[in-house]
Amino acid sequence: MTSKRIYAAWAGVHFFLITVICLRGIFALVATDATILPSALNTCARSGEVVLASVLGKDLAASNAWRLGIATYLHAAGSQAGYGFFAPNIPGYHKLTLELYHEDGHMEYDVPHVQGGAAALRLDSLLDRLADPLYEPLREVTVKLLVLSVWQEHPDVKKIRAIFGSVNPPNISDFEHGKRESFQPLFSYDFSLRNEENQSTPQ
Amino acid sequence: MKQLRAWGNDLMVFLFPLETDRWLTVLRIGLGLQLAVYTLFLKNDWHYLFAGTAKGLVSRELGEAITSLDSPFIPKLGWLVVLGGHIGVGEEMVLSVAWAGLLCAGCFLLLGLFCRPAAIIAWFLHLCAAESGGLLAYGADNLMTMGLFYLMLSPLPDRYSLDQCLVNREPKDPQLLGFWQRVLQLHLCIVYFIGGLAKCLGSGWWDGSNLWRALTRPPFNVISPDILIRFKYVLPVLGISICLLEVGYVIFIWMKKTRLVWLVGILGMHIAIGLTMGMYLFALVMIVLNLAAFGVDSGVLFLRHRQRETTDYTDYTDGTDKEAQA
Repeated sequence: MTSKRIYAAWAGVHFFLITVICLRGIFALVATDATILPSALNTCARSGEVVLASVLGKDLAASNAWRLGIATYLHAAGSQAGYGFFAPNIPGYHKLTLELYHEDGHMEYDVPHVQGGAAALRLDSLLDRLADPLYEPLREVTVKLLVLSVWQEHPDVKKIRAIFGSVNPPNISDFEHGKRESFQPLFSYDFSLRNEENQSTPQ
Repeated sequence: MKQLRAWGNDLMVFLFPLETDRWLTVLRIGLGLQLAVYTLFLKNDWHYLFAGTAKGLVSRELGEAITSLDSPFIPKLGWLVVLGGHIGVGEEMVLSVAWAGLLCAGCFLLLGLFCRPAAIIAWFLHLCAAESGGLLAYGADNLMTMGLFYLMLSPLPDRYSLDQCLVNREPKDPQLLGFWQRVLQLHLCIVYFIGGLAKCLGSGWWDGSNLWRALTRPPFNVISPDILIRFKYVLPVLGISICLLEVGYVIFIWMKKTRLVWLVGILGMHIAIGLTMGMYLFALVMIVLNLAAFGVDSGVLFLRHRQRETTDYTDYTDGTDKEAQA
């Protein structure tokens, strides 16, 4: 009976943490006005999100044992993120186009690529993450790494301009009227590879 | 106080139902297959995805640094690379061994050989890859980790495993088997309820525009938009059906009369996701988890054995447990 109580207690804590993670995700959606709920609820949702974050120890010091313990456990259980797949709405996708400037003066276009479809899905997921303001501090270094991966295949390239942007696909009626997807550049970065200097010029 | 105790007892009965290990067989074989498919799908890109600075697509160190912001104790491939460095094994070899280890663990799980060690190794290596991948990870990785986490903790081996054939062990506690199945069932209910709720909050799921966008955006654009446009009046119905299927899962999957219908609906949705969006890994892991959680009881699997199951666990339980179940 004691062991059953231990199992039950573990299940209680486990599902409590998962519920907190999931509700936090829902509150975050409402707080950012991404849902059909009235904007009046945004402030409440923001407060709710803060409370739930503190339950997970997010307001504690980064080295706090409680915070580290919860985070490690949730990652180990595969439950560190909520389950709002493809929700509440599906935004446009993102694209990284590279302009490769060769030493002889000619220019060609390329994109970061992988071999298999499963890896392509991951690359796509990475590009969508880069557009998220949360990943803004990482954007330049990640783009630089992606550029580097392409440069290795083109050693004679002198300069690469990376243009990151969102692609807005047409809705059903626009598609019926012949409209196709449009590309909107968000940022561009210039990388001079030979001397390993880079300049970034967000636009 | 009496009422509280009664609720406590009810909760214990709910959490520890008598169950055979057939669901565990489904979970073990399913996740073994999933692991094998996962490693084979990533075979050509494995080193490119997980190599360190300047060798791969995005440096593994970047993903690991992001993970370490959450906690430095989360397992990563970098740990194995450092360990390999101490014994003179290079990064490339360590990554190859990790890939081969995952594939072997998947095959061992499929066969049911060394079930527990295989499940632990599979969970650990997959977690390392998912966390090192960081920026490259997506939903299927979390669900795989979740499934492997439960598999590793469940009472392995099951009766259909090679382990059981080679060494005849005592039957596992049916209440413990029931507990782990219950945990998986509850987790799936949370997954679908939250997923469904989040979808219901988006306007695009009510008018079909989200389905249109999901099916036409790369890399999910398996079906041509020109074909899809012919079914434009069906999209809103499908969008609303998905919302209802997911939100209703938490209720209708528990009712005997609706369980089969709901399970078939959910499985159909995942098969469609796999075929029309090319998300094979995501579809497969969800199908496996659903079949393990509710497929055995609903009669989708092991239909002929249901009668025999009732006699299987009577050998194990004592009178007290039977009374509690009653």
